[in-house]
Amino acid sequence: MSEATIPRRAFFHIAAAGAVATQIGCGRRPNTAGQRYEVATACESCPNKCSVIAVVEGGMIRKLNPNPRNPKSRGMLCARGNAGILQAYDPNRLKQPMIREGKRGEGKWRNASWEEAFDYAAGKLAAIKEKYGPQGVVWSSTESFAEIFFKNLGLAYGTPNIVRHPTLCLASVNLAYSMTFGTVPSFDLQNANYVIMAGANRFESFITPDTMDLIESTMNRKARLICLDPRFTVTAAKADTWFPIKPGTDMAFILAMLHVIIGEGRYDKAFLDTYSTGFDKLQAHVIQYTPEWAEKQTEIPASEIVRIAREFSDAAPRAVFYAGRRSSWYQNDFQMRRAQAILNAVVGNWDKQGGMVPNGKMPLGELLFLPWDDPQAPRVDELDKNFPLAAKGDGAYLKLRENVLAGTPYPVKGWMISKQDPFNALPDQSKTLRMMEQMDFIGVIDIQMSDTAWYADVVFPESTYLERTDPIEMLPGIWPAVVMRQQVIKPLHNTKPCLDIVQGLAKRLNLSQYFDYTIEQWNEAAAKEMPIEMPLEYLKKHGVYASPDPPRYGATLQPEHRFVTKSGKIELFSERLQEAGHDPLPVYHAPEQPPAGRFRLVLGRKAFFTHANNTTNPWLLDFQKENRLWMHPQSAKPTGIADGDLVEVTSSVGSVRLRVKVAEEIRPDCVHMLHGFGKRSPWLKRAGEGGADAAILETAWDRVSGNAALHETFVQVRKVGVPS
Amino acid sequence: MKLFTAFLTAASILGAATANPKGNDAKGRFYYKQTCKTCHTKGAKGGEVTPMSKTQAQWKLYFVKAKHNSGTEALLKVMPEEQLRDVQTFLVNHAVDSPQPETCGK
Ligand code: SF4
Repeated sequence: MSEATIPRRAFFHIAAAGAVATQIGCGRRPNTAGQRYEVATACESCPNKCSVIAVVEGGMIRKLNPNPRNPKSRGMLCARGNAGILQAYDPNRLKQPMIREGKRGEGKWRNASWEEAFDYAAGKLAAIKEKYGPQGVVWSSTESFAEIFFKNLGLAYGTPNIVRHPTLCLASVNLAYSMTFGTVPSFDLQNANYVIMAGANRFESFITPDTMDLIESTMNRKARLICLDPRFTVTAAKADTWFPIKPGTDMAFILAMLHVIIGEGRYDKAFLDTYSTGFDKLQAHVIQYTPEWAEKQTEIPASEIVRIAREFSDAAPRAVFYAGRRSSWYQNDFQMRRAQAILNAVVGNWDKQGGMVPNGKMPLGELLFLPWDDPQAPRVDELDKNFPLAAKGDGAYLKLRENVLAGTPYPVKGWMISKQDPFNALPDQSKTLRMMEQMDFIGVIDIQMSDTAWYADVVFPESTYLERTDPIEMLPGIWPAVVMRQQVIKPLHNTKPCLDIVQGLAKRLNLSQYFDYTIEQWNEAAAKEMPIEMPLEYLKKHGVYASPDPPRYGATLQPEHRFVTKSGKIELFSERLQEAGHDPLPVYHAPEQPPAGRFRLVLGRKAFFTHANNTTNPWLLDFQKENRLWMHPQSAKPTGIADGDLVEVTSSVGSVRLRVKVAEEIRPDCVHMLHGFGKRSPWLKRAGEGGADAAILETAWDRVSGNAALHETFVQVRKVGVPS
Repeated sequence: MKLFTAFLTAASILGAATANPKGNDAKGRFYYKQTCKTCHTKGAKGGEVTPMSKTQAQWKLYFVKAKHNSGTEALLKVMPEEQLRDVQTFLVNHAVDSPQPETCGK
């Protein structure tokens, strides 16, 4: 039996014998025969960074077990975490460097040595720098422990055009909470008595211990859960009340709640007097937003809005309007999240058990080196002009793509990409393809031949997370921890970790002085400031160090505490927003609605397919092999569409074909499909069937943060076939 | 006299830098960590100082005055002018009232 074809049953069977012996604090402990050992490491099947104990037997990873020492992941690995083992044993993964020979996207590749790949890529990057300046290359990546090395290579090269994944995911929620509280807090779901989830689908889309906390709270402690979602999701099914809210109107619901809570004097006056600024202006501002007005916007009865507002304020401070994780929905996303943040503030749930808690941190050292000169050119996305409040180091991806395509304010001819598949991560694949086609050079660091890698010039195969050691990292949170990802097995193929790839390129670009260290030296410097004896040894043995103190609440509830905002207070009214030309208080603008015969495309996630690359994992595909379009029977019937029919879904930018799931569980004015299906790369043969959302999503962004707005696309649906 | 001249030079140069501090934030962080933090940590001689110890305006004023060690020493004695400019940029950019949108990750 080859490594690649080992079925799940065999892995579990072999692992079961050893599972009893799997104890916390394993480190790397070969047994007497040297056959079996365990390594404490960290998962990378998503960005949650759960701690893992890998069980190795006869040189193969037999099973990944949870490491209960991590207070964030505790005794749990989700489905993706368990299936992560197949990243290493995927027969279709990248196994050696490759250089494109044919036309871009034609699929003609030649195997190359690392030296050749480095020389080739560095030559191209140097040529672009010579002709267009370092700003002629975009450097894009997704969050990971080793992202810092890749990003630093871009900075050392001299480009201002670093663009990161938050701008496709959670930039709007981060900015909204930062502008209000000066930080992005955690939500204490474990202790909350009343939770409102709008659009967030935690029971179905992302199963981690805090999901289990919420399930435990709602099921056992009878915490109340209110769900607002155009779809009847699993979260909706478990909620006390579900409102199929009209899409894009969440802010109207929140403003009306504020109207009730402030109008009826249900806010926490003492808290607001001490810690906030701008309450008077807020009070005057929300008078206009009555529940009756909000009913017309949201299609939620006014009496229910009043009920929820009263229940929410009664339950405070153990009441939260949950912020969610992915917040790339609408063009008003930032302002809607601001309204959420303000609602949370007025009931005084800040830094209280069961409320919103500022994240605790732990000290980490760093390896000091003299950095590079600042880039000379401005960012190509003109962030200062378009989104002056957005995180400078993250950029605004969609505006960046627009400007690169237009060649303004200057030409961009190179693209370095790490751990990211822009082809599927960005809306409107035809634009991404055009951006790739106009490049003189594209270099991709990945573990698989993603759709983006398929269009690259050079593909650098990265070792999977089970084959490499990464920088140790601190996970801020209600209960902070430091985690370590360390090599479990030696690389199975001719692959390298990110730092080695970066060093190979840096050497040829005369930038070695910025990368003159090993991963061990990096980690030693980082661990040095941890508050324990022999910290690195501890991490190697246990994989994680969590603060011995249980979570503390209320550290910021001192009248002299200064919030990291302009005024030093929680900013209900924001002068900084006003100065930047934005509404200083959230102002509602009704969203455009789909015309007759069209539907709003709403996205969502399943816990086993959070990211586009999960759909290539056979164990995860077992859960769902096909992407289907959800369509309400009222919408399907008039056009003769029946369950299982093949349909063509068309927007202004493209069309895809997939089969229909006729379902009552969605509003008639919406359709829904999952993310990550419909792959182009022939190497991703095992990916599930069904269309790619990125092919039909139109380009839109949040006006303040520049975050992608992925729920602004209207589509037509046409039947093209019947079930075979 | 020598000290006085040094102070004047520092004040004028750094004053000009305040109007348009073309320093390098990342390098400033490095010099700050390498030099300032040797004394300015909890329990050390200079007491803890971080960018968040002052507002942006206070940091700017500090670099206009350009005095160190409770006003007894010119800042230029601590590090050269170019490095001071970088440190000033770093401290002002990350002062307690500075705009610092939080990002996920680094
Ligand atoms: S949530 Fe799942 S996939 Fe993400 S890090 Fe944790 S175990 Fe891995």
